[in-house]
Amino acid sequence: MPSTQFVFFTMFFLSLGGITFYRNHILSVLLCLEGLMLSLFLLLAIWSLETNTTLFMATPMLLLAFSACEAGLGLALLIATTRTHGAANLNSLTTLRW
Amino acid sequence: MNPITLSMFTTALLSGTLITLSSTNWLMAWMGLEINTMAIIPIIARKHHPRATEAATKYFLIQAPAAATILFCAITNAWMTGQWEINQMSTDLPIILILISLAFKMGMAPVHSWLPDVLQGLDLMTGLVLSTWQKLAPFYLILQLHSTHSLTLILLGTMSILVGGWGGLNQTQTRKILAYSSITHMGWMLVILQFSPELTLMTFTLYVTMTLPVFMILHQNNTLSINKLPILATHTPTISALIPLLLLSLGGLPPLTGFIPKWLIIQKMSHLGLFGLATITALSGLFSLYFYLRLSYISSITMSPSSNLTTATWRLTPNSIPLGLKTTIVPSMMLLPLTPMINSLLL
Repeated sequence: MPSTQFVFFTMFFLSLGGITFYRNHILSVLLCLEGLMLSLFLLLAIWSLETNTTLFMATPMLLLAFSACEAGLGLALLIATTRTHGAANLNSLTTLRW
Repeated sequence: MNPITLSMFTTALLSGTLITLSSTNWLMAWMGLEINTMAIIPIIARKHHPRATEAATKYFLIQAPAAATILFCAITNAWMTGQWEINQMSTDLPIILILISLAFKMGMAPVHSWLPDVLQGLDLMTGLVLSTWQKLAPFYLILQLHSTHSLTLILLGTMSILVGGWGGLNQTQTRKILAYSSITHMGWMLVILQFSPELTLMTFTLYVTMTLPVFMILHQNNTLSINKLPILATHTPTISALIPLLLLSLGGLPPLTGFIPKWLIIQKMSHLGLFGLATITALSGLFSLYFYLRLSYISSITMSPSSNLTTATWRLTPNSIPLGLKTTIVPSMMLLPLTPMINSLLL
């Protein structure tokens, strides 16, 4: 495994671990999600640069556009949760358990 | 919600799944999944209600990392083999990780616990979309990946059947029971997937046919917990007579439609000599049969104590049965004699 790939793998799995284990506030989860998307963006950009495939040169931008949409959606949900639950803590999202 | 906005989101929902269904490339498939997720979240959260918002937040926080993991595996595969095609993935670890994250997106057994929660916060028609249409795109991707990792598929499938039956036993909310029933049916589909993909397709179609009238009936009478089920008899007596048959059909009892997939799946397994697997799936189907039986017992076999004035509200304000319900309720009970035709159409 090349060292660049190892670096981005570590980045991805650290962000995934952040989503899984550190979920106090929705904002921190959203930041980890951005970390995931950023590592994917870098992986995709480096892959298309290294292999010189013209077909895939545009894909990092597409990925970035989608991740921006997703981040916007996440922030909208953050605001909606703050309005309905009073705080955006993930621990307070318990009304559906019963 | 404004009808124009709603129609826009519905179109995006449809086209997202269709993009995934018509793509052979992981990137396009991922885009379809993302469009799908982003379209359904406003539909989930369209009632300004704490539960709806919470369901939307949970759904988003589940779907977004799962989709990112799918794309990560696809890129890893591209780094290793230079291949973006869905059905030409060859490296082991990305395939297993993709299978697990697709199962996560659908709410299959080891990673299922979000599905009952999210469904609990929805209105029943959105719940119907979530438990049928939303599963189509991830399931198609699993179908494309099939026959490489039999152990993962069988483990996911049997665990889904078991957990779906087991989890539903203790529930009193109809939406949670329907969520667990959905988990069970997805388990049946996944168990047979690698042996006969056509049977999977048939099981999916029949599951949609059977679950549609159940959701519609519960939506029409606004039955959210099982202690409101006896009211069905006073509002719509015909439906109340039919609903035990519908529920037993979902459970898979012989003269009804739900028996077809179970029959053919177990037949296929015993043809292949997988007797242990067939026994486990058949026996763990009994768990879900138990809670369907309890639902039908409460809805029509017992009579709730009430005065004479309240027993016949349907005479004062007759409730008409909607057309969609009329057309789906018949095939969801009586398709069993047509098994040879379904067989020749799909197999």
